[in-house]
Amino acid sequence: MTSTALPNQQIDAYLAALRNHLAPLTLAEREDILREIGAHIRDSVDVLGTPIETALARLGPPEVLAAQYRDGLLVRAASRSLSPVLLLRATLRLATKGFVGVVVFFCGFTGYITGTSLILTGVLKPFMPTSVGLWTSKTTAVWQSNGPTFGIQTNHPPHEILGWWAIPIGLIGGALILFVTTFAIRTFLRLSQKWQIKLSAPIVFRG
Amino acid sequence: MATLASLWNGRLYGLEIIRFLETHSQLVLAEGTIYPILNRLKNEAFLTSEWVEADAGHPRKYYSLTDTGRQRLRLMATAWVDFSRGVGNLIEPVLATQETSR
Repeated sequence: MTSTALPNQQIDAYLAALRNHLAPLTLAEREDILREIGAHIRDSVDVLGTPIETALARLGPPEVLAAQYRDGLLVRAASRSLSPVLLLRATLRLATKGFVGVVVFFCGFTGYITGTSLILTGVLKPFMPTSVGLWTSKTTAVWQSNGPTFGIQTNHPPHEILGWWAIPIGLIGGALILFVTTFAIRTFLRLSQKWQIKLSAPIVFRG
Repeated sequence: MATLASLWNGRLYGLEIIRFLETHSQLVLAEGTIYPILNRLKNEAFLTSEWVEADAGHPRKYYSLTDTGRQRLRLMATAWVDFSRGVGNLIEPVLATQETSR
C-alpha cells in the first residue's frame, strides 16, 4: 500500500489484509465486518472528504483491528467453554493486557496442573501402589515443603500416610480443583467482557 | 456506555456514532475501536443491526438498542450519576478554594 496508489487500490489492499487477519472467524462474520469497514472508509473518503491515508490511519493497522475482533471472539467462546486449552488461551490473551490477567493465567495454570496431578494419582494408585501416594519423612504428617510428598515417586520417604485413601482423595480433590479452576476462569472472562464494554476502550476527552 | 447512549434516540451507523460522540460529548473514540465494540455489544444482545441501502451507493450497517440494551444502559447511567456525584462532592472544596482565592 503506497500513498501514490489509487484510493480504491488502497481500500482493497487494506480490506485484503484485514480479511487475512480475520481468518479464524466464520465466513459470514468476516464478510460482514469487511463490508462494514469498507463502507466506513468509503463514507469517510467520499462523504466527509477525508484523504484516504488519513481514513486508513484512523482505523489503525489491519492486524490491530482484526486482533480486537479475534480477542472478543476468543474470550466470548472461552467464557462458555469447558476446554482448559481454550480457557487458558483466552486468559493468556488477557494477560498481555493487564496484571489481573497475568495473575488469573498463573492461578488457572496451577489449578489445572494440581487437579490433573491429583486425579492421576488416584487413577494410578491401584496399578502402582508402592510408587503412588502421600508420604512424609517425619513421624507426624505436617504439610510443609520438606514434609509430605504427594504424587508419583520412585525414591519416596519412608512413611506413607494416606494408603488407599489416596484414590478417593486424589479423584474427588482433583475433580474439585478442576471444577473450581474452570468456573473461576469462566467468571473472570465474563467479567472482563463486561468491564471492557463498560469502559469502552480508548477514549480521548477533548476539553 | 457512551456507545450505547448514542443510540438512545434511534438507530445510527458506525461513522454517525463516532461523530455523534464527538459533537455531543467531546469524546473522541479511536475509529478502529468502535467497530469491535459494536460487534461485542451486538453479541451480548445489547444491540441489533441491519443493513440499509443508502444514497452513497453502498449500504450501511445501522445499530439499534435492544430492550436488554436499554435496561443495561439505564443501570449504567444510574451508576455513573452516583459515581460522578460522589467525585463532585470530593472536588467541590477544591473549586470553592479556587473561587475564593481569585
